[in-house]
Amino acid sequence: MQPVTLTINRQEVSGHSGMTILELARESGIDIPTICHHSKLSPIGACRFCIVENEQNGALLASCVTPIAPGMIINTESPRVLEHRKMILKLMLASHPDSCLVCDKGNQCQLRRLAADLGIGLIELDRIPQPAVTEEVNPFISRDMSKCILCARCIRACQELVIEGALDYLGRGFKAKPATLNNSPLELSECTFCGTCVALCPTGALMEKEGPYGGTIGKTIVTTCPYCGCGCSISLEIKDNRVARVKPVIDEHTDLKALCVKGSYGCDFIHSPERLAKPLIKESNKFKEVSWDEALAAVAGAFNKIKEEYGADSLAVLGSANCTNEDNYLLQRFTRDVLGTNNIDNGSSLYYSATRQAFNDAVGSPGITHCLEDLEKAEVILLIGANPEASAPQVNYRIKRAVKLHGAKLLLIDPRKTKLSFFTEHWLRPKVGTDLALLNGLAKVIIEENLIDQEFVARKTEKYHQLAGFLAGYPLEKAESLTGVDAEQMRRAARLYASAGKAAIIFGTGITQQAQGVENVKALINLALLTGNIWRKGGGIRALQRECNAQGACDMGALPEYLPGYQRVEDPQGRKKYEERWDVSLPSSSGADALKILQGAIEGKIKGLYITGENPLISFPRSSLVKEALNSLDFLVVQDLFLTETAKLASVVLPAASFAEKDGTVTNMEGKVQMIRKAVEPVGESMPDWEIILHLAQAMGQPLPYSSLQQVMDELRELVPLYRNGREGKSLEEEDLWETRADYRLPLNKFPGFSVLEYISPAEALDDSFPFILLAETPLFHFGTGSRSSKSRNLSKFSPSFKVRINEVDAQKMGLRPGDQVRVVSPVGQLLAAAEITDELPRGIVSLPRSIPGHPITGLFSSMPEVSTKTFAPKTCYVRIERG
Amino acid sequence: MNKEKEVQIDWIRLSEIIEENSDEQWSLIPMVQKIQKEFGYIPPQAIPIIAAKLKIFPSQVQGVISFYAQLYTEPRGRNTVRVCRGTACHVRGGKTILKLVKQHLGVDEGETTEDMEYTLETVACIGVCALAPNLVIGNQVYGNLNPKKLGRLLKKDGG
Repeated sequence: MQPVTLTINRQEVSGHSGMTILELARESGIDIPTICHHSKLSPIGACRFCIVENEQNGALLASCVTPIAPGMIINTESPRVLEHRKMILKLMLASHPDSCLVCDKGNQCQLRRLAADLGIGLIELDRIPQPAVTEEVNPFISRDMSKCILCARCIRACQELVIEGALDYLGRGFKAKPATLNNSPLELSECTFCGTCVALCPTGALMEKEGPYGGTIGKTIVTTCPYCGCGCSISLEIKDNRVARVKPVIDEHTDLKALCVKGSYGCDFIHSPERLAKPLIKESNKFKEVSWDEALAAVAGAFNKIKEEYGADSLAVLGSANCTNEDNYLLQRFTRDVLGTNNIDNGSSLYYSATRQAFNDAVGSPGITHCLEDLEKAEVILLIGANPEASAPQVNYRIKRAVKLHGAKLLLIDPRKTKLSFFTEHWLRPKVGTDLALLNGLAKVIIEENLIDQEFVARKTEKYHQLAGFLAGYPLEKAESLTGVDAEQMRRAARLYASAGKAAIIFGTGITQQAQGVENVKALINLALLTGNIWRKGGGIRALQRECNAQGACDMGALPEYLPGYQRVEDPQGRKKYEERWDVSLPSSSGADALKILQGAIEGKIKGLYITGENPLISFPRSSLVKEALNSLDFLVVQDLFLTETAKLASVVLPAASFAEKDGTVTNMEGKVQMIRKAVEPVGESMPDWEIILHLAQAMGQPLPYSSLQQVMDELRELVPLYRNGREGKSLEEEDLWETRADYRLPLNKFPGFSVLEYISPAEALDDSFPFILLAETPLFHFGTGSRSSKSRNLSKFSPSFKVRINEVDAQKMGLRPGDQVRVVSPVGQLLAAAEITDELPRGIVSLPRSIPGHPITGLFSSMPEVSTKTFAPKTCYVRIERG
Repeated sequence: MNKEKEVQIDWIRLSEIIEENSDEQWSLIPMVQKIQKEFGYIPPQAIPIIAAKLKIFPSQVQGVISFYAQLYTEPRGRNTVRVCRGTACHVRGGKTILKLVKQHLGVDEGETTEDMEYTLETVACIGVCALAPNLVIGNQVYGNLNPKKLGRLLKKDGG
C-alpha cells in the first residue's frame, strides 16, 4: 500500500491511506485531546473537540473522522484551534451543572480534566437550561441527563459492543438526548444492565447506583469474573479493603470485552454480611463457631476414622467448577494421595460429561477450544440448545457482533423465541427433545446434495460410509414428522451451514441434558466433520460451559476417571508420572462420579463426603433424594462462602475465601488460563480453598509438600502438558496478564469419525395426565444455584419474580390470566408459581427459571441418569398445570 | 401532550406498506413517509414492526422519526395552522395572534384539537413580511391579521 505523507505540527509523518489524522498523530506521538472518540467505538465526530487546522486552506477538521491525504499541512495546536476548542468546551460546560464537588465521577471525569487542561474556570456564557434528572428504579444504573454531553458513547456501546440497541438519540437540537424506546426507564427497555455504557461515559451522566459519593478509588486490580464460563477480565476498583466498583478492562491492545449484569453489578456478594467468617461445627443440631484447629482436627479425625473402619473408597470429594485450577489440583491430590480414593467429581459433570464423552469418541480430544474472538470471523453460526444471552453473555455479544457487524448468518435451532431470534437467517423450532432427528435430517441433506468437504472427509475421517448408508435409509419426511420442522426449511438450513467456508456450531445444555445428550453432540460433530469445520479458525464446534472454571476443574483431574491432564487412572503409564512425582502409589480403579457418590451414600457405601464450593442440594435433580443421601452420611464437610442449603446439612462447615480474596488461575470455556488476583483481605478467618486443603492434609498427618501457591502452579505446569504452553518461568508476581491458552488439539491424522445415531423417542412418552413439557431456563440475573448471586445486594434487589411461562393459546384454553397462581405438577414433585403468558414459547411448552433464590425447581425433575454418560436430565420434564 | 386520541389503525394496511417498502436499500425514511401519508402519522406501535422488518433496533427507528420535523408519532389534525413568529410578524403583533389562536382552538403549540380538525404550530418566517402578521392554514396564507379577522377565519374554516 502506498504510504501517505503529510505534515503534522511541522513534522513530516506518513501513514497508510484510510487512516484518520487522529490515528496518525497518536501513532507519531502527537496528542490531540478527544471526548466523544473512543478507541473501542467507531468514530463519529460528534463533539468536534479533536479539531485540527489544515494550514493550506484554514479548514478546521475533526481529526477523528478525517482521513489523511497527501501533502496536508496539519496544525493540532494553532491559536485558532485552541480558541475553538476552548469555546466548544465552554459550550458544553454552559449546559452542564456545576456539581463537580459532589459528583461521584470525581477525578475520573473527562470533561473536568479537559477543562483543567485548557485552563477553563468559570464561564461567561449564559446557562442553557437542563432537563431534569431521570429517576430510575433499577438498582444498577442511574442516569442524570443534565450531565450528558451527547458524545453518544453510550449509544455506540449499546449498538456496537453488546448489540442490544436499547439506546439511540431521541429528538434533535436542544432536545436531543440518548433515550430508550418511548423514552421509558431502563428497567422497562431492552437494557440488560451490562454496564458497558456506564464504563465508557466520560462524565457523570451514567453512574453506578450503588455507593454514591464513595470517594476516590485507592487501587484497581485486574482479575477474572467469578460467574460464568466466558471468563471476562474485570477490573476491581478498591477502596478501604472493599470492592467499590467493577468495570470491564479497557486495554489498548485487546478488544473490549463487555461484561454482563452479573459481572458489573453482581460481585458485591464478597461483602455480604452472610459470609462465613469462622469454621462451624454442628453440635446437637446447632452450629457452633470454633477455631480452625478445632474444625480441622474434627474433620481429620472423622476422615481417618472412616478410612480405617470402612476403607478409603468410603470417602468421596466433590470439587468445584467455581474454584481455581490450583484449588482443584490440590483437592484431587488430597483425594488420591491423602484419602487414597478416586471418588472425586465436580459440579460441571451435571451437564458437561455428555460433551466430554462425545468429543473423546468422535474427535479424540477431551476438550474443545476455539477462542471467542474467532467467532466473529464465522460466516455461519449454528446455535442450538442454548440461550447465551443468559448463560454466556460474552458469546451472545460475539454472535450478535458477527451478524450485525460482519455479515455472518445465524442459524438458530430453538423452540423458544429468544432475543437472538431477531438476528436469525433461519430459525428452526423443533419439538422439544427431537434435536437428534433434526440434526440427522441436516446431515442427510448435506450428503444427499453433495455439500460435503470431499477432501477432508476422505483424508481425515473414518466411517463415512456407515453414516451415509444409515442416512440413505432415513427419509427427510421422517425427520419432518418427528420434529415438526418443514423439510424445505431443513434443506435451506443445511445448505446454509454446508455452503459456508467457516461455519461455527455452538451448543448448550439444551441438547446435552437430554436422554440422548451424547448422541446429540455426536450428531453435531457429524455435521462439522462432513463440512471440514473442525479446528477451523472461525468455524469449529464449541460447548458453552456454565461455571468460570468448569474446564479447569476437569483439566485438573477433579474427575473420577482422570488424573490431571486427562491421564486415565487405570492406565499405569498415566499414573506413573504422578506416582513418581508424589512418591505414592495411587488408587488404580476409576472412582465414583457425583451420581454414584450420592447413590453410594444412600446405600451406605459412602460414609464421608467433602464438598468444596458446590451446592448439590439445589443443583442436582430430585432434591429429596440428595437430601436423603447427604443425611445418610456419617460425616459431611462443606467448604463454601456461605451457609448454603447443602452446608446446613454438614457436620463441619469451613469458611472459604472468595475470588477477590485469593490468587490462582481459572480456565474459561475457550481454554484460556487467566489469573484470579487477590484484591482485598479475606472476610473474618476465611481462607483460600488451597490453604484449607493443605491444612487439612497436615491435620490428617500426611502434609502435602507445598509452602506457596507458586509451587503448586509450577508443579501443575510441569505435570500437565496442556498448561505448559509458553508459560515456563512465569511467576505469580509478574504483573503481565497470565493469559495463555491450553491447547487440547491432539496431533491426529484422522478423527475417530462419524457416528451413526438413531433417534429414540423418550421412554416416558407424553401422557395425558402430564400434557406439558417443562423447560428449565437460565435467568440473566442469577447464576448456578444462586448461592452467590442471591447474596449480591444489587442482583437480589432486582430479582425478577418467579413465574411459570405459558403459551398464550394454552393459557386462554385454561382460562389463565397473567399473574394467576398455578401449581406445576410433575410425576415426582410440585410447586406454586404465578403464570406469565407469552408468545415466545410454542404450544405445549411451559418454562420456569432456575436459580431464583428461594425457588429451587430441581424437585420437579426425576433423577434419570443417561446410562452411558451418567448425565442427569434436569432440563426438561413432563408436567401439568393446575390452578393454585 | 394531547390526551390519548382514539385512532383506528388498519394494521393489515400498515403491514402491507411495510412489506412493500422493505426491499429498497435505504427504505426506512420512504417507508415511514408512506405510513404517515396513509394514516396521517406514524403510530408508535408500528416502530417495533418496522424495526423487525428492517433488522434495525426500534430505538434507531424512533431516533430517525424524532429527528425529522416532518415525521409525527401522534395523530395530526386535518389542517395544520402555522402562526408566524418571525421578526416582522412579532413587531406587528404576532405574539397576540398566536395567543388568540390558542384561545380559539383551545390547544397549545404542537397540539391537536379534540375534533382532530387543527394542529397548531409556529413557524419562524414564511417570507411575506409585507402582510405581517401572518398565519398559514394548510397551504393557504392569511395576512394582515387582526383579532376580528382571525375570529372570522377560524369560524369560517369550521373552527
